[in-house]
Amino acid sequence: MNNQREGSKNHSNTEVTNTNPWLLHLIQIHDTAFPTGSFAHSFGMETYIQEGDISNADSLKEFCNMYLRQNLASTDAIIVKEAYRLAKENDLQGLIRLENICHAIKLSPETRKGSMMMGRQFLQTVQPLNDSELFTRWYEKLKNKEIKSHYPVVYGIYTAMLGVDLRTSLETFLYSSITSIVQNGVRAIPLGQNSGVQTIFSLLPIIQETTNRVMTLDLEHLDNNSIGLEIASMQHEFLHSRLFIS
Amino acid sequence: MNLQASPNKRPKHDGRLSMEFQYRGNKTVLSNCYQNPPLRASRPLYINPANRSEATVYLVETSGGIVEGDHNVFEIDIKEGADVCLIPQSATKIYPSYNDIWSSQNMDISIGPKASLSFKTEALIPFEQARFNGKTVIQMAKDSTLLWGDILSPGRVARGEVFEYTDVRTNFQVWVDDECLIYDPLLISKDNMGLKNMGMLEEHLFIGSMWFVTPTIEDFDIRELNERLQESPHSKASASMLEGKAVNVRWLASDLVDLKKEMHRIWDEFASYIV
Repeated sequence: MNNQREGSKNHSNTEVTNTNPWLLHLIQIHDTAFPTGSFAHSFGMETYIQEGDISNADSLKEFCNMYLRQNLASTDAIIVKEAYRLAKENDLQGLIRLENICHAIKLSPETRKGSMMMGRQFLQTVQPLNDSELFTRWYEKLKNKEIKSHYPVVYGIYTAMLGVDLRTSLETFLYSSITSIVQNGVRAIPLGQNSGVQTIFSLLPIIQETTNRVMTLDLEHLDNNSIGLEIASMQHEFLHSRLFIS
Repeated sequence: MNLQASPNKRPKHDGRLSMEFQYRGNKTVLSNCYQNPPLRASRPLYINPANRSEATVYLVETSGGIVEGDHNVFEIDIKEGADVCLIPQSATKIYPSYNDIWSSQNMDISIGPKASLSFKTEALIPFEQARFNGKTVIQMAKDSTLLWGDILSPGRVARGEVFEYTDVRTNFQVWVDDECLIYDPLLISKDNMGLKNMGMLEEHLFIGSMWFVTPTIEDFDIRELNERLQESPHSKASASMLEGKAVNVRWLASDLVDLKKEMHRIWDEFASYIV
């Protein structure tokens, strides 16, 4: 009521209260210029491109659709969700156990390494921007080589510490993962920038649908069913020429 | 008896097989064994010409398959220095669950210092309407060795039964001391419509997995193995090295006979490293 009264006294209605103080920072960390190194990883997609299975916007979209629904939704996104929950509960031991599982579930060495490289880069970049005790302790653990610093775990902790709501955390994680893959596909196939924009736009409803599904899942629902992609990622290590690290 | 007509007539099985192996004198002995039907173990045999001290034991499931509500537990404890080879007598068959009740199988395995376990490749065959939850957790010492192969079949392919089961969950974990080295859950349901998609099982039916964890694997020629795996026209496969401690080989295949032949060949190659 007091607020309403104060509001009524304010004759200027042009002042906007930002209810999401983290919104602009969230946009910042998903900017393509933000140094996570995602431009260097295809997580197995490059093998399909070299084999000719992904050669145009349609096949890129088909791949991304699978990657979202069958891969990210059943591994990394669940790990983001669990890391977010454990961070909110300040459960450091739980986070260490989760990271152990995140490491071990990635059965292609390059995918394992790619997730660690992105996580370390992200953690080192954002650590000076956040002074929460848990995040600082996670960074100390990286410096002491006690953790691997996988990206989904760091992302879950960081967004929890920022105060981002869980749904937005998951949605932005899936969005950034897919935009990186599409942009890397656009470079490697190659496709025009407009194709990339249209592909991402067409995947937005699937990102939202996948977020809704992940909101109902937990660690019991982790699965490695995208075995074709896992094998492609393992084969990537032995390709003759490669644009991406993974 | 018609199970569909009278599903509650059959008592559920709680099979249990607990085995402890020790290295005594100059060979591995089965020092402790508890068997609860339908699980049984053969007497240890010493048939590995490359390692006469290794105990080979056949794992027997006397009921012929796992039916709804059955729960089988294997507890295998391999003490320091012991070498064990376990051979499933046949494929694990999961019968239909007409009442939607899950059946399950847990394997808890411990491999002590300088000990080894070789588990011969066999298939899991879930029949139509089967619901199965399988979990295998292997706890290893740093200097121990594990060789393991398994196949997940889509059903009784010869009679055209392909992915007709309701749910199959498997979870294979390997822990080396406190480090989780392998965490491999699979969760395939009948309503999972995307199995044929690019990146999933694609045009294949069988999933083959082989794990070889040993302290002496670091100089293994993984590139050469990978090149050989690419030669098979009926499967998509690759091998990779994990952390310099384990080799992971994964297959997607359309023909069980070809897959088994190739997996047995590579299993034998890895086994030769153990001696």
